[in-house]
Amino acid sequence: MLALQILIDGFAISALYALGAVGFTLIFGVSGVLNLAHGGLMLIAAVAAWYTAGELHAGQYIGAITGLAFGVLAAFLTYFVVVRPIQRSRAIPRDETEIFVLTGTLLWGIMIQEAVAYFFSDNPLTVPALISGVANIDGVRVPFNEILVAVISWLSIGLLWILVNRTRAGKALLACAINPRGLTLLGFELGRIYLLVWLIYGLLVAAAGVLLATFLGTSSGNTGALTASAFSIVVLGGLGSVSGSLIAAYVVGYMETLTAYLVSPQIRTIPSLLLLVLVLYVRPQGLLGRR
Amino acid sequence: MSKPNPSQQNARYAALAAVLGLAAFAAAPLAQAAEPIRIAVIAENSAIGGIAITNAAKLAADEINAKGGVDGRMIEIIDYDDHNSATDAVRAFQRAASQDHAIAVISSYMSEVALALEPWAARLHMPFITPGAASNEITRRIHEDYEHNKYTFHGYLTSTELAQTVCNFSHDVLVTKLHMKSTVVMSEDAAWTKPLDNEYLACLPKAGLTVLDHIRFSPDTTDFTPLFNQIEAKHPDVITAGISHVGVQPTVQWASQQVPIPMSGISSQATTDTFWRDTNGAAQGVILEENAAPNIAVTAKTIPFAQAYIKRYGVTPGYAGYSAADDVNIIAEAVKRAKSTDPDKLVAALEQTDYIGTMGRIQFYGRNEPFTHGLRYGPGYVTGVVVQWQDGKQVAIWPADIATGELKFPSFIKLPEQHAGK
Amino acid sequence: MSRRTLAALVLLLLLIAFPFVASGYLLGVFTIAFYFGVFAMAWDLLFGFAGEVNFGPTFLIGLGAYAAGLLNVRGWPILPAVLAGAVAAVIGGLLLALPALRLRGPYFGLVTLVAVLLLQQVIVIFAGVTGGEIGLSLPDVLSVDARKNYWYALAFMGVSGALLYALSRSPAGLILQAAGQDPVEAQALGFNVAKHKLAAFSISALFSGLAGALMVFYLGTASVDTVVDISVTVQVIIAVVLGGRRTILGGILGAVFLIGVGEVLRPLGQLSTFVVAAIALAVILLFPDGLIGAFGRHGREA
Repeated sequence: MLALQILIDGFAISALYALGAVGFTLIFGVSGVLNLAHGGLMLIAAVAAWYTAGELHAGQYIGAITGLAFGVLAAFLTYFVVVRPIQRSRAIPRDETEIFVLTGTLLWGIMIQEAVAYFFSDNPLTVPALISGVANIDGVRVPFNEILVAVISWLSIGLLWILVNRTRAGKALLACAINPRGLTLLGFELGRIYLLVWLIYGLLVAAAGVLLATFLGTSSGNTGALTASAFSIVVLGGLGSVSGSLIAAYVVGYMETLTAYLVSPQIRTIPSLLLLVLVLYVRPQGLLGRR
Repeated sequence: MSKPNPSQQNARYAALAAVLGLAAFAAAPLAQAAEPIRIAVIAENSAIGGIAITNAAKLAADEINAKGGVDGRMIEIIDYDDHNSATDAVRAFQRAASQDHAIAVISSYMSEVALALEPWAARLHMPFITPGAASNEITRRIHEDYEHNKYTFHGYLTSTELAQTVCNFSHDVLVTKLHMKSTVVMSEDAAWTKPLDNEYLACLPKAGLTVLDHIRFSPDTTDFTPLFNQIEAKHPDVITAGISHVGVQPTVQWASQQVPIPMSGISSQATTDTFWRDTNGAAQGVILEENAAPNIAVTAKTIPFAQAYIKRYGVTPGYAGYSAADDVNIIAEAVKRAKSTDPDKLVAALEQTDYIGTMGRIQFYGRNEPFTHGLRYGPGYVTGVVVQWQDGKQVAIWPADIATGELKFPSFIKLPEQHAGK
Repeated sequence: MSRRTLAALVLLLLLIAFPFVASGYLLGVFTIAFYFGVFAMAWDLLFGFAGEVNFGPTFLIGLGAYAAGLLNVRGWPILPAVLAGAVAAVIGGLLLALPALRLRGPYFGLVTLVAVLLLQQVIVIFAGVTGGEIGLSLPDVLSVDARKNYWYALAFMGVSGALLYALSRSPAGLILQAAGQDPVEAQALGFNVAKHKLAAFSISALFSGLAGALMVFYLGTASVDTVVDISVTVQVIIAVVLGGRRTILGGILGAVFLIGVGEVLRPLGQLSTFVVAAIALAVILLFPDGLIGAFGRHGREA
């Protein structure tokens, strides 16, 4: 009974972690950007969904779609206002671009967080469940919405896999991650590939934000933690490795759930943080990372 | 881009730096004649509970001024946003004392901030009232070093007293009327919940509820599923909560997972007007302790104040709004009694406070009582009220003389009789 | 060169004389800004010179602050408590640096970030000792007099600034800079990069810890929000970026500007943080070398 409970609860939360982390690792793999405004983008999608669904009374479905749209918009804004100017700036030395993108997106994330807190207060936001009600799986009560969150997360990840491995555009993305210069020689325009990857990233991060708002709820004060959690999962799995991120998301998700059930909810996140430090020490490139 | 010659560039940057640096201080307000009575209010403006302190203080000051002020002197509220940070609050406190010539400070619903300000009240000899922090530490310090810390007053109940209110309610309603026998205490792991939980564990059994488990969880928790499952496994009749940092999220998850156990206790976020909307109605059936509520006549002043507040600001005052309004009146009366704004005379006058406010009859405990400068607690003074969220409104349940309704639970809740029936 | 030294001396004299004309409130603002200036300079040593993004300055600041505060509560006088705080920060810094410095870039950044998160959790879990989220109140403060506090902070910042600046211009500082920019080449030239970075980390920890400890004795309270929270890290980063990285002294300008603007924008409430972050972002995009950075660099070229 307890085992089944842990299995089910851990699965849903891990699926959501995975969805959040996959976008983060994708954008790093393809364009070398570590986006520290990640949590901020999730927040924008969540706020847009919450506002449309709740305050404008448009219902949760239109809310969810609005959330997706705003998430994509915010991702493009991040790219055009912060990331691209830094990458193209002639005043910034090449080898320091990474550091500048880190600080730039960090500040951008703070701006998003503060703006949301100012206009919508820092109260936690929740979007009504996409489907209400509870299923009973062998004595364990599971909200339908929790199941839906897991299903949508995995569907999105599956679509991403098909896109990357089965379409021409997706293969170009992969190639770009491995050798951007070679790709330009083949006649691909890097700019368009970057646009595509930011679009995909926007969709993934927005989906994660909206689902989070329907499942657990989120708040402007929570954005830093969201970024930190995606960042840790991605590094644990190995930067740029999608499958590594999926595994890491499940490791972290189950570790937190197990700790909360079997040890104490007081120290929920500590074992996974320690594991992260340990793995980095032994294997600095993460579980499945390339060096 | 053509490159300007270096010395030009130098000068330009130096000038820019100088202008930026100086501009930072140009806006500092000029000192004025000390005609009005200035009361500083330091609170967090982006939180509903914080801005309520500022708004309520302004409203109370305007009401006093409309009746001619204090012996002809108007009350002026100077407000500062502390962004919920102790550093910012300390800075604002210093500014209030040394530059803006406030005679007293009302600040914060956060224990962290109030405790950071308490020593500064002592150092700068500035009378200071906190309208919303609950830590026992505030009054303990005054009790232990009265001469030094006497400038601080605690305008809200201590954690211990909050727990007593919940226990009294549990006895009168949950045990006596609903025949509940057991509970699980669920509190966020924080300093303010330590004395709260201690009192819960002591007084709940006396009230008739066996405590089956005592769970403390990290205030950063976002997924409450494991907690609720753990609680459900013990089959308590009610959950007794102590939460402030979290509130919306556990409530939403409690409803979406249809946890069949009623939730009662302290839930600060649930006191706000917007809680119903924030939880999309998941608050239905949640029971919580408050010091006052907009439609409950705790005293004759409660409802008129709440209505004036709603008329002016469009929302109901958060819990600290009631106490902040009372605090402005208390300070005004103390100035009148002391016929002076001298800090020591003002403190002496504040100690004589006997004022019927929005949350009850207000007196402060004396230096020999354990909660020195805390609110006198108990029937006839401030007792707190217990309300339940029902269909978008808070309905008063306890104490019986001000109750406006009966307990009512969503369909997924199972009460003791129903357990017995199966 | 001598002209610049002269300008610096005049500025220093002006700063020393400032309390005779300024209000107590203004002095309070500067006092905080000076401590932040030291945080920023210590961080710049790692970021600007060793080329490492340390997301954990507040791990070091917090260790110094809490160690000093806890000892003070147990009856230690201020001076030994502050020194013990600095020692605690250095020890903590070494424990963190030994594994972390094997890592580069984002990996290093993440490990330092995790250290902060863990420290924060430990403080909350051991609330009985540390005061948890409501903080630790100290029995002693440096002084209740705004002028004295200002002078203490100014002196501390002046000495720290001079030492850190001298260090950054010393041969060791140059090696560090070379190692930060191209570790492989620096290694090939026979420099022990790891050793230098470890030294830089310890020195950064020392000054962060000292500043953290002194600041809590100014505030009279140590709490997660004031010395450990990520938002403090963000302020330190903003200060360095504004003032100019790899300049050490730019951190002072950045911190004074940051705290000053925060005060001026106070009426904006929550939006003030937004504006400050936006200004910092604009500086990153338009003047990547920051205010002093551009100024200093051109000065050197001329």
